[in-house]
Amino acid sequence: MLHVLQSAARPASDAVLRAMFAARKSVFVDLLKWDVPVLDGAYEVDQFDDVHATYLILAGPDDTHLGSARLLPTTRPHILDSFYADLCEDAPPRDADIFEITRFCLDRRLCARERRQVRDTLVSALVDHALATGIAAYSAIAEMGWFQQILAFGWRCMPLGLPRVIDGTMLAALRIEITPETPSLLESGRATAAALRVDRRVAA
Amino acid sequence: MRLHALATHFMHVVEAVGSADDLALAMAAITAEIGFQYFALTHHVDIVAASGNAIRLHNYPAQWADYYDGNALGVSDPVHRASHVTSAGFCWSRMPFMIPLTAADQRMLALGRDQGIGDGFTVPANVPGEARGSCSFANQAGRPMPDTNLPLAQLAGNFAFEAARRLWSKRGHLPVPQPRVLTDRQRDCLLWVARGKGDWEIAIILGISEETVARHVRDACERYGVNKRTLLVIRALFDGTLTFTDLFRR
Repeated sequence: MLHVLQSAARPASDAVLRAMFAARKSVFVDLLKWDVPVLDGAYEVDQFDDVHATYLILAGPDDTHLGSARLLPTTRPHILDSFYADLCEDAPPRDADIFEITRFCLDRRLCARERRQVRDTLVSALVDHALATGIAAYSAIAEMGWFQQILAFGWRCMPLGLPRVIDGTMLAALRIEITPETPSLLESGRATAAALRVDRRVAA
Repeated sequence: MRLHALATHFMHVVEAVGSADDLALAMAAITAEIGFQYFALTHHVDIVAASGNAIRLHNYPAQWADYYDGNALGVSDPVHRASHVTSAGFCWSRMPFMIPLTAADQRMLALGRDQGIGDGFTVPANVPGEARGSCSFANQAGRPMPDTNLPLAQLAGNFAFEAARRLWSKRGHLPVPQPRVLTDRQRDCLLWVARGKGDWEIAIILGISEETVARHVRDACERYGVNKRTLLVIRALFDGTLTFTDLFRR
């Protein structure tokens, strides 16, 4: 099920949040080797995990983590304006109706097919959440491989500036427009992916 | 062109092109804009065998394209192989630092130069679950690499590939390989074959007779329609029946 959590003032108090912070440690620290703080050797929590962050978390029964994303208001310090402003040709987008998507995290225990399902559900949840709460656009930073996948979701993306190699990784910033037609664009994106998929094989 | 204008243009290309011809026109214009003469948008598959379903759009000189197709280089092209080890765009001159280049690769690159193709820049495009692909920009030998425009070329490549995905998905499905399902015992035997064991050793490890091992491996070969153990291992690794993790976990 989908959990939309507004406040993480006391992260350890909630099982769903705790599972998410542990999954983030597993993905961003252990797998992707990001240099970000780790709490108690088990939870990836940084300075943006405060009362202003909103979390969209997909959890299974027993609150197991499947996928999650963190939304930061762009009217407050966020990652693009704090660390990667150079990725934007102009000033980073900053508006009450623009949120930054960060820490898009798919659980490592998922197999390829489950990852795609959780990813698609999470992307739809992001769009539904935006439409329900009056968010007009998301900003995001992506490594180029992930950038290509974000385009493939089918929603409307605009580059905010030229890609740059930062600490050995090429990154780009983008703006994702959210309008009432975005859900149908995601549908088309899924139809495209279904038509091009080559690894449809019987699950072991 | 200012980035904003170009970004809007990319978006327009992705959303508005209605045919491969439209995309080819838009690509030719973008290619010239960023300082290149040629572009090639492609899925990394044997284009002739894939019979028109895989993405392929380019304005390379005809003789180069013919050589390329005639030799089915889509899968072994060093540019394509290099694009499987990175997600960021790279200049072809950097390939020797990215992947081992065989004598045949060197010959192919030399032949490209004979045909007038100089240095190029390739943007890898990998959407999980789909054939890998790329968007390359190239110049005639002797023309300078437009270094300052490479970040633009990177973005153009990402957006162009997405535009091509949307167009090609409407053309019908790519050939889907039939799943080959092995029995658990065939898979057990294959795992040890992949780890370099012979039938006698596998028989001891699994506690079955050598003849039974040989039969399981032969049957597995039959299911994949191959007649060599090496091919069997490769195919099983490719479709996920075996994983590299399985092989190295002792």
